[in-house]
This record gives sequence, structure tokens and C-alpha cells, in this order.
Amino acid sequence: MPILSAMASLKVTLVGMLLLSVGSMLTYGGDTGVTVWVLIVPMLLLALNLMCAIATSRKINGQPGLLVFHLSLLALVIVIAVGRLAHLDAQIEIVVGQSFDGSHLVDLQQGPWHTGDLSEITFLQGPYSVSYEPGVQRGATASRIGLLDKNSGFEKEIVVGDDTPLIFGDYRLYTSFNKGYAVILEWLPKEGGSYSGSVNMPSFPLNDYRQKNEWTPPGSDTTVKFWLRLDTGYDEEDYWVLSMDNSSGVLVMTVDDLRVELQEGESLQFDDGLLKYKELTMWMGYTIFYDPTLRWLFFISTFGVLGLGWHLWSRADRLLGQNFESDTKGGVN
Amino acid sequence: MTLAAELPWLWGSLFALALATGAAIWGMLPRYSYDGALTEASSNARFESFVLWSLLLSIVLMTIAMGVRWDRIGHGPFVSLFELLMSQIWSLSIFYIVIYWRAPSLRGTSVIIFPALWVLGSWVLILDPTASFYPATYYNNWKWAHVLFGKVFLGAALFGVGLAGIILLRQTRAAKLFSKMPSSAVLDHIAWRFMMLALIFDSLMLIAGAVWAQDAWGRYWQWDELETSSFLNWLYLGAIIHLRMTYRMPLQVGAWLVIGVFVFAFLTYFGAPYFSPSAHKGVV
Repeated sequence: MPILSAMASLKVTLVGMLLLSVGSMLTYGGDTGVTVWVLIVPMLLLALNLMCAIATSRKINGQPGLLVFHLSLLALVIVIAVGRLAHLDAQIEIVVGQSFDGSHLVDLQQGPWHTGDLSEITFLQGPYSVSYEPGVQRGATASRIGLLDKNSGFEKEIVVGDDTPLIFGDYRLYTSFNKGYAVILEWLPKEGGSYSGSVNMPSFPLNDYRQKNEWTPPGSDTTVKFWLRLDTGYDEEDYWVLSMDNSSGVLVMTVDDLRVELQEGESLQFDDGLLKYKELTMWMGYTIFYDPTLRWLFFISTFGVLGLGWHLWSRADRLLGQNFESDTKGGVN
Repeated sequence: MTLAAELPWLWGSLFALALATGAAIWGMLPRYSYDGALTEASSNARFESFVLWSLLLSIVLMTIAMGVRWDRIGHGPFVSLFELLMSQIWSLSIFYIVIYWRAPSLRGTSVIIFPALWVLGSWVLILDPTASFYPATYYNNWKWAHVLFGKVFLGAALFGVGLAGIILLRQTRAAKLFSKMPSSAVLDHIAWRFMMLALIFDSLMLIAGAVWAQDAWGRYWQWDELETSSFLNWLYLGAIIHLRMTYRMPLQVGAWLVIGVFVFAFLTYFGAPYFSPSAHKGVV
């Protein structure tokens, strides 16, 4: 099979590696706008080259360690591809006291093979704290999570944050730098009924001076502008903990020319209803990551390196074509 | 201005390394009588013993320096360039002292290795020892595996430089200095064996780093500057091993390829963080 042999050539391997290097350099630093195909094409070429080499080369398929390594490389390419096709990446903001709702995902990206079920994720967001060192250097995040049982309700409380993700099957939720304050509002329309909800303010302390948002109550024509005047003890030059324990805030509402400052529990009467500032709370941002191939990637890559280690170290003399032991005496060569 | 507690120990360690460097080079120089005849060949055993003990002293003092700093700032040498360089000098010295002790015929590599260590040593002397901030994501235990594998990888790459350097120096007038060492073909063989070791530990470093990144930053790979540089380094190492196994190449060409591995790794470890704000994202 001349075509198979030609494709299995080491020259093709070296060309593939060179192309992959060039592709990697073109995408150096990420978000360069260069198409991802500069990586995919060389990888496909290398995968094809590898398949042909495994099929035809006795140097590879005749040596178990080397065979394991090259099969692992091939498997890695395939599994990474499957992982990307099945992946899901998203962000979500969850207010303290509220439960996860998959319909609120933002920046959602998912592969066409994503078959995960977001309803697997059931938890209640509890209070959290984030410590900061002088210079606004973010330290430990401790986010308390109430795990919920679908049938019996609350199950147990755990703490996640930083390098401890919240895991539901193949979904992993990571606390992000994105978190801040929220106000819980209640809208009582004139015609009756009530609506309760939260308005999240921009990330804190990143947007310390821009704690603004706006909202239009259900059924109303009035858009209310909010500014949250916070008292958190935040000091850029000192140790500080972001937590509800040391936070309070006055909600400044602006409607047209009217400007009103409300404390928690106070309300403002509009023509078409009453808006109540019930309480100040916080929201936590999570990065959601789904990839069902993670543990396969780990096992395959580790297995491959073990195979390589076994092969290279036990056969190094033969592979390098010399006998080290026979020539340890001095002499310029 | 107060003196950081670890600095006297660091200076002591580098002084001991300087003694080892000087003795290693002095020991390799040929001795001549007044009439110009060669009286003593290179690799004087008395100097080798001094080099060994000086290097050991340097490692002990560097260990104390790192311990004192750890106690002072509350975390290990994982964040600032100052502490990373200290840590690398320490681990590379340990890697090399084992070889120096166990393989007397290869001790001539010290005239290449020690000056290379001094590049790091000179650099650390001009850096600010101010306490660094330790990100929460660095408490992850996979960091230890990642760092350990990386140190073995870099140690193997540095020793490859030592061997390759001798092969190249043998093309110059300094060739006779290394007459007691094994032939260049043997050095080449050993160097490539260390490249294989480097490839294995580079691979393990990437795997451990990916597991750490998944836990710490929610993704195992993102093609950021440091990751891409590491991957290119791995690819280069794999490519040159394929080349070496497949084609006959002049020893000098092989030597330059081997040196390229360390240069690449050096630029990755100490270069990428300079122009990458995202290197090890937990820092930001």
C-alpha cells in the first residue's frame, strides 16, 4: 500500500509538527482572531499520519510501549474532539437564597453533541465571602451551597470556591471573579398582586463606583434607575472581606426628575404601583464547564506517558544506535 | 531599608556556587611546567572533591534561604520571579550534584552547567525580594506534581546542555581540556537519553498542569501564552527525538538541537510570564 506507507512517513510527521508549531504561534496568547483551523488541520494531518504509521510501521506496532504511546496520542486527539463537540461553557449569576436555574445561563457555548441535562444541577446559593489582601488581591472564596435532593428538598451544605468546584455529574461549576451585590425588590401594582425579584448590580469591587442598574416593573411604563450606595468597609490598601456580614446599602432610585433614597424595608409609591426595597443581598457568578471526557483524557495521557517511559528508557541504547557501555573511556571523537 | 531575612543565606549559597564554579574551571585547566611541557592533565581529583562539597554547601544554604523566606512570607517559592529563580537554582543543583557524584567521568560538564546556573544566580541578585501574593488557586495539590515534574524536566534539559556543550567545545582549541571525558559519540548518546527523560517529564508536567488548571481555572487548556510556549517546547522535543532516531546527523547538529531544548524551556519558564499577563491565571 504505497499511499499508506507514504502517509506513514516520518517526513509527514515532521511537517505536521512544523505546521502545528506555526499554528500554535499564530494563535499565541489566544483571542487573536486567527481561525482555529490552523490548529485543527495539522492535528488531522498528524492523526492521519499516526494512524498509517501504527498500521504499517513495525517500529511502532512491534513495540508495545511505543504502540501504547502512539495509540494514546491518537486517542487523545479523538477524545479531545469528542469533548469539544459535547462541551458546554456558560456563565450564570445566582442570588443568595435562590436556587440554580438553567434558563438564566449567559455566554452559553455548547457543542452540537451536548446531551447533558442541566436539571441535574440542583442547589441553593448560600452566603459567601471573598477575602482580599492589600492591593485588591483576591484571596480565598468560600461559597456556601445547599445541595438539594429532587424529592426531599434540602440535603446538606457544602463550601466551594477557587480550586474546589461544585460538581454535578460531568457539570463543574466554578466560582468566578464576577460577583457582587443585589437588591431584592417587591412590586405591588395598583390593580393587585405582587411581584418579587432581584436586580443585580455590577461586579464588586471591580465596579466599586458604578453600582448602577435600571429596571421596569412588570406592567408598568416607568423605568426606574438604581444606584446602590454601599457601606462595605472596602479599602484598597487594607485587608478586607467581601461579605454580607459587613455590608449595608442605601438604594437611590431615580425616576425622571425624582430622586429618592430608600433604606431596607422602605418603599416608593408610583402612579401605577408601589415599589419596595426589601433587602440588600449578594450574587455569585459561576463559570459552568461540561466535558464528559475529562477523566478519559487524564487516564489516556498518563497511560501513554507510562508507555513512552517504558519504551524509551528500556530501549534507549538500541534506539540511539550505540552501545554506551562499550565506550566509556576518554577520547575526543 | 530592611534586609530580607533570606538574603544572607542566598548570598552565601551563591558564594558557595561561585567557589564550585571557580574550582571546576580551574580544575579543568591543564598544568604546564616552566619549560612548557604538560605536567598534569585536566580533571584534577582534588578540585572535584572541593567542587562537590562546595555545591553541596550551596544547596544546603539555598535550602535554608528558601525555608527562611517561606517562613517570612507564608508560602513556598511558586509565585514571584525572585523565588522561582531561587527554587530553580536549588532543584537544578540537586539534579546535577547527583550526576556529579555518581558519574565522575562526566564531571567536565560542570564548566558548562555552573556558568548556566550563574545566569540564574546573577538574575536573582538583581530582583526585588518583596513578599509575593499567594493566590487561592495555588493551594491545589496538583501544583506540587506539576512543579516536581517540571524540575526534573529542566534538570534533564540542563544536563543535556552540559554534554552538548562539551561536544561543541571539542571543536575548538579547548578540546584537550576534555580529553579525559568519554568520546563525543558517548556524550551524544547520554545527552539524547536525557532528552528522552526530559520528554517523559515534560509530558507529565503538562498533564499535571492541565489537571491543576481544570481545578483552579475551570479549563484544562486554553492556549494562553505559557501553555502555548510549553506545548511548543514539548513539540520541539518530540520532533528532535524523532529526527535523532531516524536520521544520522553530525554530532554538532545534535548538540545544538539539545541546547535548543533548554533555551526553549528557559524562555518558556522565565520569558512567557514577562509578556503574558495571563500566565498562571490565578495570579491576577
